[in-house]
Amino acid sequence: MLRNKMRPYPTLEQIVAACWDRLEIETKPNTIAKDIERMRMLPPVGFDAPIKFDRYHWGYVYTDPDFKIGNLDLTDADIASIRESLALVQSIGAGRIDEKFGHAMQKVLATAAEVFDQPQSNAASYLQTMSPPISRGFAHFELFSRACREQIPLSFVHYGYKKRKFTAVQLHPFLIKEFDNKWYLFGYSENHQEVRHFGFDRIYSPLLLNKPYKRFDQQTTFDLLANAHGVFPIPDKKKQRITLEVSSLITHYFEAYPIHNSQQIKKHADGTAKITLELVPTIELARLILWHGYHVQQIAPKWFADFTKALTL
Amino acid sequence: MKKQPKDLLFHASASSGKANPSLLRVILGSQTTRLDFGYAASSYYIKGGWITISPDTFLQVKGDSTPYLLKEAIGISQAPVKLKFKSTKDYQFFSLHFEPLPQKDLVFDMIEKLNGTPNDFNYYGIEIKLKNGVVVLV
Repeated sequence: MLRNKMRPYPTLEQIVAACWDRLEIETKPNTIAKDIERMRMLPPVGFDAPIKFDRYHWGYVYTDPDFKIGNLDLTDADIASIRESLALVQSIGAGRIDEKFGHAMQKVLATAAEVFDQPQSNAASYLQTMSPPISRGFAHFELFSRACREQIPLSFVHYGYKKRKFTAVQLHPFLIKEFDNKWYLFGYSENHQEVRHFGFDRIYSPLLLNKPYKRFDQQTTFDLLANAHGVFPIPDKKKQRITLEVSSLITHYFEAYPIHNSQQIKKHADGTAKITLELVPTIELARLILWHGYHVQQIAPKWFADFTKALTL
Repeated sequence: MKKQPKDLLFHASASSGKANPSLLRVILGSQTTRLDFGYAASSYYIKGGWITISPDTFLQVKGDSTPYLLKEAIGISQAPVKLKFKSTKDYQFFSLHFEPLPQKDLVFDMIEKLNGTPNDFNYYGIEIKLKNGVVVLV
């Protein structure tokens, strides 16, 4: 705006209006005034931007018309890529994480180009991913992220659906994991004296605590998750070979959408196949098999076949 | 300069009766004392029944007759309004905010009704030891 030759010397109110029109960011004149003040500061706090308030024209202007913010040397292709990424995140996000990310990326774009030639709200119109409604507990995403990132213990109240019991938990979190649009917080639970995970939907009133963060083995959890389809391993079952005999129709889907890196397909002449997986058996895997119905004709080992069948009883 | 009092968290586990909410946490703040509860509806009532809290509920420290009055209830209706459940499997987390208790070692009661029945949300002998408190980050 400060470079706009048609409408130079914007006022704070005009900048506020432009933020809304172009970025759909609601802000206030005093916030913009603070932002300008910060831009004037020397790096790394500010940009050393030569902005002054012109009392004659009653608006803001760059005293150096050639000034550019920052040193990001983004090409047009870089900017296009960022915009595509932004569109993808907006599409996936649907009110989940897109807003903060969008603002951050818009800042990057602003740093590079300083102008937005089109509103970003249309960016995702050509791209559509599954956008389920916001789930319960997702409002705590930011707090959980901070707790994991900065290693801050948490206190929260957890409700167990199965036991139908509320418990106050103190957790030393380290991982947020999404699986099938269900979100989980992993950490060392003081109550359980081991690493546990808790569904966001069952967590109430999380609070950040000022106490030492407990360090413990996290790699075991990462290894487990890397070798599993889902987050609920079947108790006492280690990583093992699981084989499925599947119909010719469903073989196409397994070929197109492998469910795990370990997946191997041995096709038979009639198009049916033997699917082999090397992983830790999980409840989610059993449910996936059930979801395929009669297309999965045999399951091995037998205990897993029995376990899967028992879910239907 | 006077130190700003911090919010202290205590994990608790108390119940006033078999069918009543469990007291889960106590937060001694400078502005309020907050008590967090969880309640799982029982099959005693066809649709799980209802819960409510009397606006006259107060806290009382042992050895001190000062009542610390209820200021706000979040997640539960204040009587005469009832929070009605729809099934015997419903559950509810709620918080009660009272006038702030002093930040010192103490034992207090939460009284919904003096000389009440087991159905009233009366909790006795809740012990606070400052050494067990954890500072809550803002």
